Amino acid sequence: MATFNVQVTIENKPGISDPEGDTILNDLVLKGTHKTVSKIKTAKMLKFTIKEKNKKTAESKIQEICDELRIYNPVVSKITVAVFDA
Amino acid sequence: MSLEPQELIELKSKIGRDPTSTELQIIAAEWSEHCSYKSSKKHLKMLPMKGPLVIQEKGYDSGVLDVGDGYVITAHIESHNHPSAVEPYGGAATGVGGVIRDILSAGTRPIGILNGLRFGNIEKDQQARWLFKNAVTGIADYGNCLGIPTIGGEVEFDDCYQNYALVDVAAVGFGKKENLIKNHAKKGDLVVLLGGSTGRDGMGGSQFASDSLESENRSAVQIPDPFIEKLIIEAILEARNHKLINAMKDLGGGGLSCAVSEIADTLEVGIEMDVDMVHTRESNMHPDEIMISESQERMLIITSKTKLKKLQEICKKFRIACSVIGHIKSDNQMHVKKGKKTFANLPIDVVANATLLDLPSKKPVYLKTIEKEKKLKPISDYSKIMMSLLGAPNIASKIWVYGQYDHEVGIRTVIKPGHDASVLRLDNGKFLSIKIDGNPKQCYINPREGAIGCFEEACRNVVCTGAKPIGMLDHLQFGNPKDPEIFWTFLESLKGLTDFANYFTIPCIGGKVSLYNETPSGPIKPTPLIGVLGLIDKTPLVPQKITKDDCLVIVGNTKDEMGGSEYFEYVHKFIGGKCPSVNFAESKKNMKTVLKVIQSQFLKSVHDCSKGGLAVAISELCMKNQIGCKISLENVPGEKLDIDRILFSESHSRYLLILDKKNLKKLEIILKKNKVSFNLIGKFTGDKIQFTKGTKSIIDLRVDMAQKTWINSLKDLVLHG
Repeated sequence: MATFNVQVTIENKPGISDPEGDTILNDLVLKGTHKTVSKIKTAKMLKFTIKEKNKKTAESKIQEICDELRIYNPVVSKITVAVFDA
Repeated sequence: MSLEPQELIELKSKIGRDPTSTELQIIAAEWSEHCSYKSSKKHLKMLPMKGPLVIQEKGYDSGVLDVGDGYVITAHIESHNHPSAVEPYGGAATGVGGVIRDILSAGTRPIGILNGLRFGNIEKDQQARWLFKNAVTGIADYGNCLGIPTIGGEVEFDDCYQNYALVDVAAVGFGKKENLIKNHAKKGDLVVLLGGSTGRDGMGGSQFASDSLESENRSAVQIPDPFIEKLIIEAILEARNHKLINAMKDLGGGGLSCAVSEIADTLEVGIEMDVDMVHTRESNMHPDEIMISESQERMLIITSKTKLKKLQEICKKFRIACSVIGHIKSDNQMHVKKGKKTFANLPIDVVANATLLDLPSKKPVYLKTIEKEKKLKPISDYSKIMMSLLGAPNIASKIWVYGQYDHEVGIRTVIKPGHDASVLRLDNGKFLSIKIDGNPKQCYINPREGAIGCFEEACRNVVCTGAKPIGMLDHLQFGNPKDPEIFWTFLESLKGLTDFANYFTIPCIGGKVSLYNETPSGPIKPTPLIGVLGLIDKTPLVPQKITKDDCLVIVGNTKDEMGGSEYFEYVHKFIGGKCPSVNFAESKKNMKTVLKVIQSQFLKSVHDCSKGGLAVAISELCMKNQIGCKISLENVPGEKLDIDRILFSESHSRYLLILDKKNLKKLEIILKKNKVSFNLIGKFTGDKIQFTKGTKSIIDLRVDMAQKTWINSLKDLVLHG
């Protein structure tokens, strides 16, 4: 068993509007001099530390936890799971 | 897509050719149950819609009532059941947004929101808790961001809503009569789409709402953006002040398809539009997608060419997008183009008028035996039963819910949530009282009496604040109408409401029908939800603190009507028995008399007797005022009944009047003169809730203990399971 750090990013699915991201872009970033920015998307990240056999089982375990406990709503959001060695 | 085979044949014969794919999408959206009311429309006509205060104009999405001195109020009710059942936060929030735009489209400012929420058994079902928690947060976030107070509502739990949610939102608006939008248009006027961008969200939502909810069919979800909605409200009201709006409609179910065809149908004109002109969120959207997208926070406005510049300036000031997407024609066609290419060209009356159905109905078999009561387990300790009822999700205080809502923003709220009805101050010195009520448990046992009961209860609540009922909103929620038994329950409820409205001359000023509310385990119980608006000319009865030796008088008879009561269903887990019925003459007499007494201004407060019966209603008064009471059950007027019936029967037309001892004589004189059934049943004193019958103690509870359970149990359930 090894320890892994797993980062879960929860964000709206593509094509679904993101009012928070749009507001940060239009009312903060573009109000300044940073005209090269064209898109901002908000997301939420959960950082897990988990003991598992390998990277693959760590990833599938975390995916399973997120699905089972409704940590995100699959109807509107998607998650991206990234595993790192601790 | 849910266009049925015979509808497709009908469409072909009406237009004399095969429809294009865009035309099919437009028709499927507009002919869906959600937009066309094809199953219910024929029957809804029975409700009385006219009255001395009702202002009827073509094309209003909300009801308008004249409240005098040049002012009007508008009101509307909507539901967002299907979206909320899959994404409670966004579904509930966008439900609020939709009904607010209906208020706005008449040219009035929204001043209050109410919501009726129904979920499965939250004591057992984790999914129901998740739905409940997130729907409440959705409403709170949206309403609070808009600066519109959420002033009241109701919450109920029942096994029939397993894995489902009923999220009903009512809104009221206020404005000057002269500012009402008089919907009109002439050839050459411009069609402007204003607000949020059109994306792929909520695709096909209205058809989705017209199908039963199956697990795989869960794609139509809308994302709320209250800040755009707020900007739209302010921009529209400013445009209204500059008289820039000839006609207006909000985009709801069916998106552009419905808004364009319905506004053209109302105004008896044609509209030619170009989908390339619609501001979209994503590139490469197909015309079909643009036409049926249900992206939120959008309004359709018809304006004149000369007024466009000013309208654009206002939109720019509020930083909301607006695009001229088409113009008015005189040919009564809905012509959808992309650049030069035609994608749809249909006669408006074909699009906007689906063939209405005359569905068969049949009395449900279950009703034959439902009124038969089973033998109940005898109750040995009523204090214990009382405590468990006070903690029951349907009776426990809903402060966890309304505590999350801003109910005072706008400084109109005179009576806040947590009382019988909520009261808003109007600019002409009058007050508006409003309440929504539903009771699926009773409607299941008797669809007619149950629906009438909801109506009477909402009236009672409004009367408790000193208001005279002036208008009604109905929201009829049922299962699949193609099931004759379900359709029968729909018709019975509707007939009941119609009879009550006629007898009391309360016009129906608006409403909504939501059908196909089916869960994986079957149809929901019939759930008509009734909103009643009342007007107070001078002073509302704001409940005053009850103090030692204040008297409690009950008006109205308590009857053996236990069907659908919390006592039967929560304590005995028994669905059945005879549900309460309203005696129209008695109801009217009690209502008028109580109003008369309130106007004499010596009552401290009036509370209605409903869910949980007399025992719960009196306990609520004790807990809210932190004072005990001594009640003699033998003095409760009505036929001779067993103790459990007197305590927990949910008979209608009953009011609890609280007053200082010195005014008792005055009260008796008025009540006797009006020949209502009443009696002094007890007084407030000490720190215990005590019910006795003769010399026998029936209930003996400490107020502080009862209050702790009543206030905290819902919150504990939601947060800790």
